[in-house]
Amino acid sequence: MLVSACSKNEESSTSSSPGPSADASATPKSAPPATLRILTENNTSWPPKADWGVWKWVEEQTNIKVKQELQTGPESLALAISSGDMPDMISVFQSDVQKFGPQGAFEDLSKNMSKMPNVKAFLDKNPEEKARVTAPTGEIFNLYNSGAGEGSQMIWFYRDDIFQKNNLTPPKTWEDLYETAKKLKALYPGSYPFVFRHGMDTLNTFGPTFGFYPEVYPDPADPAKVKFGLQEPGAKMLVDWLHKFQEEGLMPPDWLTMDYKAWTQFITTNKSFVTVQFIGQLEIMNNQMPEGHLKFMVPPIGSGSKPYLPKAGQEGYGLAVASTSKNKDAAFRLLDYLFSEKGKDIQSWGKEGETYSVVNGKRVFNSTYKEPNDLRIVSGIQTAATYGLFDFNAWLSLVKESEREAYVEAPKYRFPVAYTRPSLTPNETAAVSPDNDQIWKFWTGEVSKFINGGRPMADWDKFVGELKSHGLSNIMTTYQKALDRQNANTK
Amino acid sequence: MDLKRSSVLRGVKRDRVYLLLLAPALLYFILFRYVPMFGIVVSFMDYNLFKGVWHSPWVGLKHYRTFVHNPDAWIIIRNTLLLGLYRFIFSFPAPIILAILFHEMRWKRFRRFVQTVSYMPYFLSSVVVSSLMLMLLSPSTGWINKAIQSLGFKPVLFLQDAAWFRTIYIGSDIWQYAGYGTIIFLAALASIDTQLYEAAKIDGANRWRQTLHVTIPGLIPTTVIMFILHIGGIVSVELDKAFLLGNAANRDTSDIISTYVYRIGILSGSFSYAAAIDLSIAVVTMLFIYGSNKISRRLGETSLW
Repeated sequence: MLVSACSKNEESSTSSSPGPSADASATPKSAPPATLRILTENNTSWPPKADWGVWKWVEEQTNIKVKQELQTGPESLALAISSGDMPDMISVFQSDVQKFGPQGAFEDLSKNMSKMPNVKAFLDKNPEEKARVTAPTGEIFNLYNSGAGEGSQMIWFYRDDIFQKNNLTPPKTWEDLYETAKKLKALYPGSYPFVFRHGMDTLNTFGPTFGFYPEVYPDPADPAKVKFGLQEPGAKMLVDWLHKFQEEGLMPPDWLTMDYKAWTQFITTNKSFVTVQFIGQLEIMNNQMPEGHLKFMVPPIGSGSKPYLPKAGQEGYGLAVASTSKNKDAAFRLLDYLFSEKGKDIQSWGKEGETYSVVNGKRVFNSTYKEPNDLRIVSGIQTAATYGLFDFNAWLSLVKESEREAYVEAPKYRFPVAYTRPSLTPNETAAVSPDNDQIWKFWTGEVSKFINGGRPMADWDKFVGELKSHGLSNIMTTYQKALDRQNANTK
Repeated sequence: MDLKRSSVLRGVKRDRVYLLLLAPALLYFILFRYVPMFGIVVSFMDYNLFKGVWHSPWVGLKHYRTFVHNPDAWIIIRNTLLLGLYRFIFSFPAPIILAILFHEMRWKRFRRFVQTVSYMPYFLSSVVVSSLMLMLLSPSTGWINKAIQSLGFKPVLFLQDAAWFRTIYIGSDIWQYAGYGTIIFLAALASIDTQLYEAAKIDGANRWRQTLHVTIPGLIPTTVIMFILHIGGIVSVELDKAFLLGNAANRDTSDIISTYVYRIGILSGSFSYAAAIDLSIAVVTMLFIYGSNKISRRLGETSLW
């Protein structure tokens, strides 16, 4: 009811051109000054700075001064909320919203759409996004960033120079991958030809090519049904392969505890030749390597006939407004700016003369920015809470011509469904969370044993049966119910 | 009655300086130890952060039942108790032995040097210690495994094997805390009357006999007090190291009550459930301390209260 009432009011102001008319209302002259505290991630690869351009441009455009507060660990958000002194705005993942939204931590944005015409226009234009942010009870507790999802895609890449030198071709299947790794191990005995650094989470990347994600996800054959990936035959095949790689020293024995630094060392010192990693790391590594070259690799086929990467493109991170904030109007103004065309442009590119200049009708970033990641390090562009809509062309413009291939190729191999779960009500969350923990603990423990050889692969079917005694049926019915409800609401 | 009150008042007046000295500590305990105890009521409610303690619905023992019915509960409790017990058995005597060795060292300068070096690890945070462990024990790049391999053995998956977790945890604990722990025992050793040693020497006791009959008995009262204080620690194993060294492969032994409470309570926001688990553990800890105090009072004269 409320939403439809709001939309009527806005018809007149936003129907013709939503961008400019809305921006006009947010010019610094007419907007009262405000200061907003925003809780965001603390990423050591692009340490936040108070003088980042992104915050300066926000202030110029909206008259809002942003004070960035940093999360020190995964518990920071829970502590900030329970402390009674929540920052005005908070960077959130879906799981955070499910936990704290229904308890009353975040403002219901659906009731404030009249103050955010650009946000409303964006959600109306993108019903899939709207369904994603709408809670089972109808509230909108957060907005997801949009436009930079391509940058968080996980891809495969390999050392094409080493392959060429040794007359090897990039593997097309996991069988090939195994044979190639054996050859490489023979050629470079001290090496671990295949390396990855996200431990058990890497199964999310490998899984699709075997037709599954590890836990709950929508069935690719019938997206109205939920599935539990470890029950799929593909899961057994993947784990069996990883066991072989581990047993024969083709991947590092400490694959489970590998961190970024160790991974970097393996890649840059000729110790590893095939890997999976975030798409941006391909160029970063190529720039860091004293010699040699990495190249995008088509994901090797696991089972079935198609090579797949996880479905990417959507972002899972976004912004919520604290229900206790005293600056809600400023927060809505900031959100609306971030979702306006002007906000999209400035928060992605910065300002002409300051960050880029126009050469032959094309925008070119100035020399401070040498590779895409410098956008984050120097100006904070494309970091948490600094954008709503992102123009990915800004990022791409800094990707070297020779490194563009990955961005063109990766989208061709997307798995039909994304690794997402439907939203739960607070009661459902409370009822399912001990079971979720139990089954996660069980399967990650057992699968690591299968891979490391602590449990024989012959036991796999028994393991799949054991999943049932760890709360599986409660988990499945809960998520199926939630998915049914979500589907009914979107229709 | 009157007489009693006036004697209390007189006592307060007489000891005012000492009481004033006590005040900051007392205030600390009231503010940070007793006031938060009120929070245990949330374990009997479906606590909602925004409704608060006054408006959240009461649910009785629901969360306690959930914990008891969780098949992981027993594993977590067993892991915690075993880790605490092993830590107690192996870490508790370490500073005593080290203190006696320091005491017996005759070359004063060397002794001071070794002592200082042994204190150092105490000042490292668990985060640093854990990453040191990760680096040293890595089967692909760690020094320890390189040494093992150079002797012709296969690398050991220290941190990816549930069987190694307790050894690593306790070993690093001893390395970190034994040196610093000697301080209190060295103080106790310093207070042993030198005449006792002289008398023992006259009686013909050699160094070993002196240690056995003078040094060790002299340490017993301090040891008993420390023993009782440590008993409480059996159940309250710290979160940091278990969390940082834990992973999917060693979770069979590394998942303990505090890591579980952190995961369930803080990360997944089930405050009531986590509070229920914590309170159960606190009760067990109290029983441990109370029991050991009672036993030590029966057996000897030394006790906490």
